[in-house]
Amino acid sequence: MSGKGLVDAERRRFNAIALAPSLIVLFMIAGLPAIYLVVTSLTPFQLVNPGSSTDFSSPLRNYRLLPDDPRFVNSLWVQAKLSFWGVLFQVLLGMLLALLLHTQSRVVEFARTFFLIPMVLPPIVVAIIWKLIYTPDISPLYYVAGLLNIAMPSLTSSVDFALTAIIIADTWEWLPFTFLMVLAALQTIPDEFSEAALVDGANRLQVFFYITLPFITPILVISGMFRLIDSVKAFPLVFLLTGGGPGSVTEVTNYYAYLLAFDFNEIGYSSAVTIVMLLLVVAVSLGVVWMGRRREAMA
Amino acid sequence: MSDGISGPIRRSASVRRLVAIGVTLIVLLSPFLWLLQMSFKSNDLILQFPPPLIFTPTLQNYASLWQGAFPVSFVNSLMSASFSTALALVLGVPAAYALSRWAGRGKHAVSFAILVTRMAPPIAFTIPFFLFYRWIGLLDTVTGLVLVYTSFNLPLVIWMMQPFFETVPPSLEEAALVDGASTRVVFLQIVLPMVTPGIAATAILCFLYAWNDFFFALILTRTNARTAPVAVVNFMNYEGWEWGKIAAGGSLVMAPVLIFSLAVRRYLVSGLTAGAVKG
Amino acid sequence: MTKKNSSDKSAGLSRRTLLRAGAATIGAAAFPMPVIAQTKPFAGVTLRGASFQHRFFTLLQSYIPEFEAQTGMKVDLQLSAFPVYNQQANLELSSGGSAFDFVNVTFILAARWVAAGLLANLDEFTGDPNLTPAEWKPKDFVEGAQVPYRDAKGATYGYSWEGGAMVMGLSRMDLMEKKGLKIPKTFAELQEVCAAINGTDGVTGLVSFQLHHWCLPPYIQGFGGNIFRNPPTDIMPALNSPEAVQAVEFYANLLKNYAPKGVLTYTEDQARQALLTGRSNIFIHSSAWITPILMSGDSKVKDTSRVVRMPAGPVRDFPAANSQGLGIPKNAKNKKAAWEFIKWALSPEISMRLVKEHGHSSVCRRSVIESEEYRKLNTVNGQDLGALYLEVLGLPAKGENYMAYRTVKEFPIVGDVLNKAFEQVATGQLPAQAAMNAAQEQAIANMRRAGTAL
Repeated sequence: MSGKGLVDAERRRFNAIALAPSLIVLFMIAGLPAIYLVVTSLTPFQLVNPGSSTDFSSPLRNYRLLPDDPRFVNSLWVQAKLSFWGVLFQVLLGMLLALLLHTQSRVVEFARTFFLIPMVLPPIVVAIIWKLIYTPDISPLYYVAGLLNIAMPSLTSSVDFALTAIIIADTWEWLPFTFLMVLAALQTIPDEFSEAALVDGANRLQVFFYITLPFITPILVISGMFRLIDSVKAFPLVFLLTGGGPGSVTEVTNYYAYLLAFDFNEIGYSSAVTIVMLLLVVAVSLGVVWMGRRREAMA
Repeated sequence: MSDGISGPIRRSASVRRLVAIGVTLIVLLSPFLWLLQMSFKSNDLILQFPPPLIFTPTLQNYASLWQGAFPVSFVNSLMSASFSTALALVLGVPAAYALSRWAGRGKHAVSFAILVTRMAPPIAFTIPFFLFYRWIGLLDTVTGLVLVYTSFNLPLVIWMMQPFFETVPPSLEEAALVDGASTRVVFLQIVLPMVTPGIAATAILCFLYAWNDFFFALILTRTNARTAPVAVVNFMNYEGWEWGKIAAGGSLVMAPVLIFSLAVRRYLVSGLTAGAVKG
Repeated sequence: MTKKNSSDKSAGLSRRTLLRAGAATIGAAAFPMPVIAQTKPFAGVTLRGASFQHRFFTLLQSYIPEFEAQTGMKVDLQLSAFPVYNQQANLELSSGGSAFDFVNVTFILAARWVAAGLLANLDEFTGDPNLTPAEWKPKDFVEGAQVPYRDAKGATYGYSWEGGAMVMGLSRMDLMEKKGLKIPKTFAELQEVCAAINGTDGVTGLVSFQLHHWCLPPYIQGFGGNIFRNPPTDIMPALNSPEAVQAVEFYANLLKNYAPKGVLTYTEDQARQALLTGRSNIFIHSSAWITPILMSGDSKVKDTSRVVRMPAGPVRDFPAANSQGLGIPKNAKNKKAAWEFIKWALSPEISMRLVKEHGHSSVCRRSVIESEEYRKLNTVNGQDLGALYLEVLGLPAKGENYMAYRTVKEFPIVGDVLNKAFEQVATGQLPAQAAMNAAQEQAIANMRRAGTAL
């Protein structure tokens, strides 16, 4: 017993020593910045006015300004539109792609790898690729449209298409992610289920709706949530394709916060915008964890 | 969608399905292939329509990149990605081991904090980091980038490595402990060798995330530590776009990523979801 | 300012006596004077500078080795894409950094930097004959190009290396003649000509590019409005004045009806290409970009091009003029070495060499622009482009400084709002009046948020 106790004590000491450096470093490089961000968001801090960094005379000023800032409100809307359509297309198309490739043939397994390419490319390279496609002078897309006598608007500069153009690019980039998640889930469905159903005279569509779909729904939701969180980070695409324009049609919150901080030097106000985003991310992350646990409990 | 002949257990794919897969693949990859072929074209050819199907590839875009400042940025990317990966592994692997063997109550809280760190939009970190680096003199240094990249790579290591440690049978460890070995020795000599593949996969993922970063490098570097992704954007000139160079630069930046990510495709999902979902 | 000496001889004399006196008094000071002329005064110094990529620097880099050999210093000049440079330099200076010894003072940021005291006062260098010989002639720079680099007291914080003077380029005089059209002199005529040409042979009436807060103000001022009420003293925005609304509507209609699709996101390069290839007839923008249509090998419209003053509004014409300058950050580590470089890069000799050896025309030294060589190089199809360039570049310094709106340090904030509002009108999201009313409110709110008292 005492030997066991000694071992336990020694194990605990080891755990503490193993964990401590990571936790300290994480606190330094993630915790402290987060605290600093909160503090800064309570000041009217501007880079050119160093004294303003410690001006706490009206701590909630930035947060009071937020609801009346049309650009901020607009950026939330843009973000919501981008996230909603992006996530929807990525989950749906990812699922279709997974169903298409859910088969046990060597060739298909080999092909799966190539479907992952868009996701692993550096995001800025993805932005460059779509910049090429959306630039009329050098784009094969415009050339083909010209051949077919279709008058293509300039996608990234038209109000009606700019956001769509970004959604298309974002969907292309992240489709493989949802595809991978769904494929992994499909491969865990026991074959007996669908076999039994087919023997009972169900057709394939029925099998899909009554067996496959319920089985993969949690994964669809979880992968959707992850994409939702990540869609808040959409930066390179907006940066390179539209710069938030035309007008503010594609100015997502992340991009607005970036402009505020690094173009207008309004560090304090930008921090407040960022805090709002951070809270949204935390909320969705909590949802993910909760969903994940529920799924584990079900499985 | 289905082949309808081979029954429910689809052992092999029908021709129809294969054709559908092939067409989808070509459509999906065409934007990527367009960039790739452009990098081997001279500037006149790039602007030529209809695009010639067969052309003599030229390496002039790559050659002109290699004469400029681009190689330096490539080395910067390489260094910042490698060092931050190393740092994250040294700190994170023992921590992941401790967490995987820890049945304490705080585990979920720690795990969630780490998840949020991974999910936070980069801008949340850039503002404080920028001001701090300005003050301490780490702006435009590889060291500065390494620290920032560690902020998202360390949580990744801690998440990714836990499942690997969980696969090591506790009986092995207990036997060694009964023989009087210290936990440290058990960890270093018995457990670590068993999770080498996991460490390799985690290392590659860390490297890729750091390598792919654009936002942090854009804000926190000037010229000395400029990384390859920022350098490529720099070819988008005030006086005109050097499409050939942009394509070549983009292709060079994505080359290591393509090679490495194929090696770790099994872990891509768990990397992206910070381990919250087992891929 | 230095006392201007009328002749070189006396200048030399006074410089020598000053040198002697200076050496005597400075003997005890920390600044080591070059004892013999042959020693390299800046041996071992690495001078670090930054700017955006521009042909001027590409050309200058071929001369820099000579400068390095003369002075013994090493010049590390970092060139980035325009937006990347602006952002990084702005951050660097705003946060008091010292990474650069000299920087490009980008026109749109000049006011912000000068007002915030982020740059070194260059009068300290030009006013000291030991540091700046009289023949460098700081007054030789076209006054209109120097306006952005002055503070309220008239101190100078930058010297211009690049001038941009807004002129109108027409690429298809052949079509114009065929249709019996004259070069437009008023806004109304401009619209008529655009309408008449648009669609002929697939040519669009005009082309422009995405920097609306550069292209649009001449129309606002032409109709009698301004960006601010009375800059630089009264900086209350005036974005929704009837004149401004009229101008926004007018210019938006031009782009909507007579410009290529996607013109709203055109880069300068794309707009210039449209002109060069004869796909668009009119481009109203800085001369530095329009001259290539008359000279470059790619131009398909050399013989059918004209370059003239831009059309006038009901008030008169207000062609925008800007410049880019070289300055020294307040906290630079090697200020003297940086001045040495600026002095050399913007010397009459180097400017002249750029003209002679490379045909580079957008220099800002009056003596160079008025020289015979410059005139010869820049007279095309019988048009003296140099004279036109000089005329427009000098306008903001004559009488009312109508470019003052751009030297208001809040201009970047308001310009950004104006840009967005104009895009909303040009894309049909909002009517002009509504967009400009919102822009006015937004501009005031943003200025107040940034700490401006209105």
